[in-house]
Amino acid sequence: MVETSLIEMQHLVKKYGDKMAVDDVSLEVRAGEILGFLGPNGAGKTTTIKMLVGLLQPTSGVVRVAGYDVQGQPLQAKAACGYVPDQPNLYPKLSGRELLRFVGDLYGLQRTQVERRIEELLRLFDLTAAGDDTFDSYSHGMKQKTALAAALLHDPRVLVLDEPTVGLDPKSARLIKDILRQLAERGAAVFLSTHILEIAEHMCDRIGIINQGRLIAVGTMDELRAHGQGERSLEDIFLALTGGAEYAEIAEVLR
Amino acid sequence: MSEAVQPTTLGLWPAVWKLLRLQALITVRGFRRAKTGTKVGLAFAALGIVSIIVFVFVMSFLLLNLLRSPQLVAALPEAAHLAASVPVLIVQAGFLIILMTGFGVLLQALYLAGDMDFLLSAPIPVRAVFVSKLLQAIVPNLALILAVALPVLYGLGASSGYGVLYYPLVLIMLLALALAAAGAASLAVMGVVRVFPARRVAEVLGFVGAVFSIVCSQSGQFARGAVSAGQAATALRLVARLDVAWSPLAWAGRGLVGIGEGHWPAGVGFSVLALGAAGLVFALALTSAERLYYKGWAAMQATQRHKRPARAGSRAAARSLPALGGRFVPRAVGAIVAKDWAMLRRDLRNLSQLVTPIILGAVYALMLLRGGVPHAEPGNAPAWLEQALLSGLAYANIGIALFVGWTLLARLAAMGFSQEGQSYWLLKAAPVSAGQLLAAKFIAAYLPALALSWGFAGVLAILQGRGDPALLLQGRGDPAPTMLGFSLAVVALCLAAACGIFVAFGVAGAKLDWEDPRQMVSGATGCLGALATAVTMVVALALFAAPQIGLALIGWPPLAAQFAGLALGGAFCLACALVPPWLLRGRVPRLGEG
Repeated sequence: MVETSLIEMQHLVKKYGDKMAVDDVSLEVRAGEILGFLGPNGAGKTTTIKMLVGLLQPTSGVVRVAGYDVQGQPLQAKAACGYVPDQPNLYPKLSGRELLRFVGDLYGLQRTQVERRIEELLRLFDLTAAGDDTFDSYSHGMKQKTALAAALLHDPRVLVLDEPTVGLDPKSARLIKDILRQLAERGAAVFLSTHILEIAEHMCDRIGIINQGRLIAVGTMDELRAHGQGERSLEDIFLALTGGAEYAEIAEVLR
Repeated sequence: MSEAVQPTTLGLWPAVWKLLRLQALITVRGFRRAKTGTKVGLAFAALGIVSIIVFVFVMSFLLLNLLRSPQLVAALPEAAHLAASVPVLIVQAGFLIILMTGFGVLLQALYLAGDMDFLLSAPIPVRAVFVSKLLQAIVPNLALILAVALPVLYGLGASSGYGVLYYPLVLIMLLALALAAAGAASLAVMGVVRVFPARRVAEVLGFVGAVFSIVCSQSGQFARGAVSAGQAATALRLVARLDVAWSPLAWAGRGLVGIGEGHWPAGVGFSVLALGAAGLVFALALTSAERLYYKGWAAMQATQRHKRPARAGSRAAARSLPALGGRFVPRAVGAIVAKDWAMLRRDLRNLSQLVTPIILGAVYALMLLRGGVPHAEPGNAPAWLEQALLSGLAYANIGIALFVGWTLLARLAAMGFSQEGQSYWLLKAAPVSAGQLLAAKFIAAYLPALALSWGFAGVLAILQGRGDPALLLQGRGDPAPTMLGFSLAVVALCLAAACGIFVAFGVAGAKLDWEDPRQMVSGATGCLGALATAVTMVVALALFAAPQIGLALIGWPPLAAQFAGLALGGAFCLACALVPPWLLRGRVPRLGEG
């Protein structure tokens, strides 16, 4: 079987004035693969993700989603993509069901199909009872789950998630992990940023680490270990790559 | 190892001082970091305020001298009594203004401010948080009241030759009453929030406040020319009646006058009573704060996850409209329109902005009807004059209908993109083109404005007897039945032009990072948009009218002249409706990128 690249980034650069937020990032995610995207706070993860889903225009470089140039063919690229942001800001006066119907219309899905999918997804995320409540009464976790349901509604070939498990209870976090794995098994590409290294280590096929806007490592766990200096866990590898000398000092302050 | 940190707890007033100092620091830093233009603007505003204060002082001095002149006292005894009641009136007005405005401000400051989690989890007394929020909340309104009341009261003192003690007492009295008003407002807020959710109260308050202020501002239109001298005298007598000895609010004013005039027993007595009552209200608010405030705030946190289902009708509307629109416009466009309308309808804070044009429409309609309609009786005037009068009347109706629709467009079209707020990512990440988004925002704004304007123009025409459907069906009524159709077409085209321009300005000035819908207005862009659309509509009306006038002079039939006007003005309007959004289409995909 030929492995198709569903996400391709080539020499991606994003500058804010003089500040280089993302500096020459190139990577790809193939069909059926989950890529974990790690990095310290302010490393450029969210900026990279926003360029990937077309929310930000790169200063230079190319992003392709499902073979479509996100800047040149944005509608085709976006139609193939599902996105869950780190802050699930949803229209406060719409209900969960209304939002999902709205998303179905934006993606041009058939109404009967949308209604069926909505009920399936609400049931899956345990939101059926709250489906007619407006978002201003939802908790963060409920909004996060609705945002994920909206991203899955059109059965995307590429799923991009920015910190998807933040604010979720363990059951929901586990559910998301299972869904992502199933999606990958069905041939979708999943691009996932997270601070929870355990998730990245156990769930992701490959891991990319970004620091100060530069992609400093990418590969499977074995590849990352092989390039390291004897570190075994992802946490050790991550700290070795992104700098951890200050931790001894922090521990001293807290002692 | 570094030295261990030993946290200490602060007392009430040191904590209040720290919180106030922090706020002052934030304000000063904000000013220092502001753009030079903003600093210059603020400096000019300060200069303007000082000039107004001086002006009010001088005017008060002169006016109060005039009110005490023997000639005026002889002619209008009520006016002289009014002069003596000035301190009572001003102090009462100041108290009531702070009480009413303080409710909304304190609701925001005490329950909806973003820093409450941080402050209430810090080891500082809840009462300190309460007091600092109270003081921060009343400062702007108090400053405004002082800027107006102090020069008037000092003007009164100067014109009446009051003693020296009067002047500091005025300041003390106003401050004490402001604190009492804020305390009373805070008690009301704490009581209401125990029963109703704070956010809902804020929404309802915004709506009621907007309706109240627009009704007040427009009520002057009704009163204009309708108040007789007798009614004015009655009003003055009513105002003077507020100065009664049993009212605690009158004690302050009576105390000030007593001290000023050197009537020491009455002056000191009323002043002590007023200050005592103010202190009592403030102390009551302070002692209640610990229990009421914290409990109310904590209850708000616990009840945040309440079930508030969207109304079934709204859901049906949101679902059915795209299906209806799908035949004429893309489904995504129909869905965005339906979503926008649902959001506008359901948020009372939006409705408070939308209600303005409706009230304006009602006010102007009543004014027109009350003023009567000019008629040129058939046979009494030449045909050309009759036609000119009809055209003039039609254009007056068009003008008012357009004004009403334009007011609505200023909210719906100019803020079409801004109203997406932080949820805009959803549209931006979806496969929706810039053209579709612009079309959706145009339709979502244009159709309600058109419906309102057409409804207004139609009702006016019917009430004026020119468009009476029954008479029109019988072939009678309007001597030029096409005039109503012409008016509606002109309104539709002019509004389309304004809508296109407003949408374009809405893209240019889109503001997506607001928390409260009332903060989504982008000042400069909003003003420019309003100016551009107003000029455009005037030009368009001129283009609609020019062929009618010109061709009528060379003897063309009115219908042909109307068609010529429609062709010329219509072409201009369509260009204005389409070209500005088209020029701005490239910016739509970049919105929200900072």
